[in-house]
Amino acid sequence: MTDNEYLQAVLKSQDLADDSAELKALTTRRKDVEALLRSAFPDSSPTIRYGGSKAKGTLIKESYDLDIVCYFPHDDTTAGETLEDIYNSVAAALEKDYAVERKRSALRLRDKDLVDFHIDVVPGRFTDDSKTDCFLYQENGEKCRLKTNLQVHIDTVRDSGVLDAIRLLKLWKARKALDVKQFVFELLIIDLLSAHKNKSLADQLIHVWTNFRDLDSPPKVEDPANPCGNDLMPLLDAVWNELGSVASSTLSTIDNDGWEAVFGKVDTGADKSAAVKMAVASVATRTRPWCG
Amino acid sequence: MVRVIATSTRVRQLTDLERAVQEKQPDLRLVLEGDTPSFRGSFQLANDGVVFDRFSIQITFPDGAFKLPRIEEIGGRIPRHIDRHVFGNGAICTEVPELTLLRGRYSLVSYLDGPVRNYFLGQILVEQGQQWPFGEWDHGKPGLLQAYGEVLGVTDEEKIRRFLDCLGHKKVKGHWNCPCGTGKRIRDCHLDVIRRLQESVPPAIARQALARLNIYRRP
Repeated sequence: MTDNEYLQAVLKSQDLADDSAELKALTTRRKDVEALLRSAFPDSSPTIRYGGSKAKGTLIKESYDLDIVCYFPHDDTTAGETLEDIYNSVAAALEKDYAVERKRSALRLRDKDLVDFHIDVVPGRFTDDSKTDCFLYQENGEKCRLKTNLQVHIDTVRDSGVLDAIRLLKLWKARKALDVKQFVFELLIIDLLSAHKNKSLADQLIHVWTNFRDLDSPPKVEDPANPCGNDLMPLLDAVWNELGSVASSTLSTIDNDGWEAVFGKVDTGADKSAAVKMAVASVATRTRPWCG
Repeated sequence: MVRVIATSTRVRQLTDLERAVQEKQPDLRLVLEGDTPSFRGSFQLANDGVVFDRFSIQITFPDGAFKLPRIEEIGGRIPRHIDRHVFGNGAICTEVPELTLLRGRYSLVSYLDGPVRNYFLGQILVEQGQQWPFGEWDHGKPGLLQAYGEVLGVTDEEKIRRFLDCLGHKKVKGHWNCPCGTGKRIRDCHLDVIRRLQESVPPAIARQALARLNIYRRP
C-alpha cells in the first residue's frame, strides 16, 4: 500500500454513512432542537438549517459536530430586540431540555450529565430580506456582533478542492486535542494549499505541517464572508506555536516511523465488542473504579 | 503555550516523560503553560496495535506527595455522574488512589497502562449496557473501607483505622495493643500479619489512607 492509498484508507474509515447510528442520532436530535425552537417562537419563522462539517463535507467519525443555525428575519423582534437578546432567548428556550454551554456565538448542547451531543446552535439575525448575510452575537469578542454568511462559509470549504486534506488534518487536530477553531483551521489549510491542489494527499499534509513548523507567524487568513470585518488572526496567533510544535513532532514521526505511526493502523470496522473482550481478558492487574 | 525546548533539567525530564508516554500513547502530547505541565490528546485502546476506541483526555498533576495525576475526559463522551465514576468537574475516578500506589514502581506510564486503561475499557462496556469488568468499589467511605479492608484482611471500620494507624508508624513496637482489638499485645497476637503488611504498605501510604478515611469524619 502506498502512502496515498494508506491515507485514503484512513479517510474511508472516518466516513459516517447517512444511516450510521451517529448520524441518525444527530438527525433525531436536530429535529428535537428545531421543534423546541419553533415551539418557543411560534410567532416567528426562523431559518433553521445545518451548518458545520455536515454541510461542508468535512465530517469525520472521530470528531463530528453538527451546527444548527437559527437565524431570525431582519425585521423580526420576536426573539428579542438586540442580538444579545436573541442569543439569550434562544439559550433560554434550549435550556428547557438541555444543559447549554454558552460559547462565543454558539450554544453547545449537552444532557444534564454534561454528555456532549456534538451540537452547536448558532442564533443570529439576517441583515436584510435576501436572507444571506447574517449578524451573530459575540459574547466575549472585541466586537459584540459578527457579520457572517453561512452559505459562503459552506461553499468556501466544500469547493476548496482540498477536502481530503482538511478531513485528515481535522483528524490530526482531534487526536492531538489542538484547540483551534475549526473554521479558522479550515481556512488556514485552504490558504496553505491554494497552490498545491494537484499534489498528492501525502504531499499536501507534509506541506501544511512544514508551514506550521517553519513559519514564524501564521499566514494572513481572511474570513470570506466578511474579509474586512472579521479579524481571524488573533485566533491563529494564539495557537501558532502549539501548531508548530505538534507539526514538528508529526513530521519527525513520519520521517522515523512512517505514516502509520501518525494515523495508526486503518480501522477495518472489526467488531468492537470482541476487541473489548479480548482487551479485558489480557488485563494483568485488575482495578476497580471508585468515587470519593 | 510555549514550544517544548530542552533548556533545563526539568524540561528535559518532561520531554523524557513525554517520550515514554508516547511509546504507548502516541497522541498524548506534553503541553507547557508557563511552568505547568499537562498532557492532552487521544487515549488509545488497542489490541496488538489495532486501535478499537479512543477517549480524548487531559492529564494534570496536582501538587503534593502521593497524589495521582488528575485525568479529565474532555470529549464529553462520559456522563459527568458519580455512578459513572466521574466527578462533576470531569475528573475520572480510576480507583482508590492508595491501591495504585501500593502496587509499587508507580509511574505515569504504568498508571495509564493499568488503572486508566482498565477504566476506559469499563466505560466502553458500561456504554454497551454491561457491567464493569472487574467490579467497582462503592462510592465514598464504604468503598474505601472495602478497598483498605481487602488489603488489610479486616472488614470492621475501627479495626481498619487501627491497623492503618499502626502501619503509619515507621517502627511498630511489640508491646503496643494489637490493632485487631483483642486487648493483647501485638507480639502476642498479630505480629506476623503486621510484619507482612509492613512489607507491602509503606507508612506514608498507610497515613494517607487514614487521612482519606478521616475526610469522612469531618462534620
